[in-house]
Amino acid sequence: MTFVDGLKAAALLFVAAILQVSVFSEAHVLGGTPDLLLVTLVAVALLRGSVFGATGGFFGGLLVDTATLAKLGLTSLVLTLAGYWIGRYGETTGRDRAHAPFLSVGVITILYAVGVLVIHFVIGEPAPAGALFRGLLPSIVLNLILTAPVYWLVRRLLRPLDRGDYATEVQLLG
Amino acid sequence: MAVLGTSVQRSRNERRPNRGRTAQIRRIVLVVLVLVALVLLTISFRSPTSGPLHGIQGYGATALRPFEVAADRVARPFRDGYDYVSSLTHAKSQLKQAQKSVRQLRAQVLVNRKAAQELAHLKALMHFEELKTFPKDYTAVNTTVISYATTFAQTVTIAAGSNSGIRIDTPVVTADGLIGHVTNVTPSTAQVMLLNDPGSSVPAVDITHNVTGLIRKGPHGTFFLDNVPKEAVVEKGDEIVTRGTVDKRYPDYYPRGIPIGSVLSASPSDIATFLTVQVGAYANLSSLDVVAALIPNSRK
Repeated sequence: MTFVDGLKAAALLFVAAILQVSVFSEAHVLGGTPDLLLVTLVAVALLRGSVFGATGGFFGGLLVDTATLAKLGLTSLVLTLAGYWIGRYGETTGRDRAHAPFLSVGVITILYAVGVLVIHFVIGEPAPAGALFRGLLPSIVLNLILTAPVYWLVRRLLRPLDRGDYATEVQLLG
Repeated sequence: MAVLGTSVQRSRNERRPNRGRTAQIRRIVLVVLVLVALVLLTISFRSPTSGPLHGIQGYGATALRPFEVAADRVARPFRDGYDYVSSLTHAKSQLKQAQKSVRQLRAQVLVNRKAAQELAHLKALMHFEELKTFPKDYTAVNTTVISYATTFAQTVTIAAGSNSGIRIDTPVVTADGLIGHVTNVTPSTAQVMLLNDPGSSVPAVDITHNVTGLIRKGPHGTFFLDNVPKEAVVEKGDEIVTRGTVDKRYPDYYPRGIPIGSVLSASPSDIATFLTVQVGAYANLSSLDVVAALIPNSRK
């Protein structure tokens, strides 16, 4: 993991955040919305681990909150945890499985939506759970559609690391 | 035993960083980032539209604006193409409806023209003083939508801010009608809460039957005209506009007369306290492009 890797990941997440707020957030399909930033973050975290994932999630969320003039820190908080968690999965041998990015995106889409819902509820803002869960399935499908090209692109820019570079790799059985 | 004397390549495992130290760094990074996010969220929650953090957010939003505009321009042809195809599918039914409306409106124009002349004459006779109305007391600042909210709040960000005269609570419209009001503003951008946000509530009036109520989010992209008494008369097709300020002590965000939509259905319910009036908005809130913020002429 080098400084150049950090720059590449930062550039990827910056472009993803800008495209998310300017283009993808407006695309509503059957009540769902694709989340390019989340998919890119999952790909980066899977390939570079938990520290990259958490840091990328924090700054990606900060960009989104700044661009949309939303409450600073809200998206950052959820994306930091999402990036960290997927990064930990990326530090296991399970990352090499073909379904790893798709499984990660599916699970994180659900957890991210629930996380944002909970924070909205805690700070006393409208948190319509019904609308969220109605649009969740289409959102998962849209994110899964994005996963293949995004993961391919991120993988080309951030080459998978050697096993020796993972200091705390965990071997998954089964 | 011969192997003892030979040179052996260093194992990869020996180059690995210390496991315990790396795990510690990882945890510290996570805790620090979560704490910073929580601090930002707390400050932002306590003073969402002012304070040093809001200022920094404003500078950040200004710096991001060119990138958002560029992304919007790149996506524009694709978005226009999609809108064109989707509008074609509705074109036939819309044409029939439009032709019918044109016939009705032509007749209405003649009646209105005569009524307007009489009204002007009567106002002059009575030295009638009235509150601000749309559009004569307002100037439109035309701008584009540059970003869309990503979570629950139905908000958009527009590419004009306090430098253009926009303030918090400034009403925002499209050529079709009202879309919402400004809830946060920086020098070059502003956040607009749309009518379909769960927190939005607009005092409105049915101009045909002079029935007042509150426009709130309804199901499937429609709205409710809430708080309408059961005995009130509201009919399908009635036009709903903003009510405007009734009492100077409690000024409304919106001037009187901004078109909102038309009544889709009105029916009493045995269990509801008020009449259930469903309203279809004129403005298409799911496809916003160019909008106008209404600045009072007195502020210019």
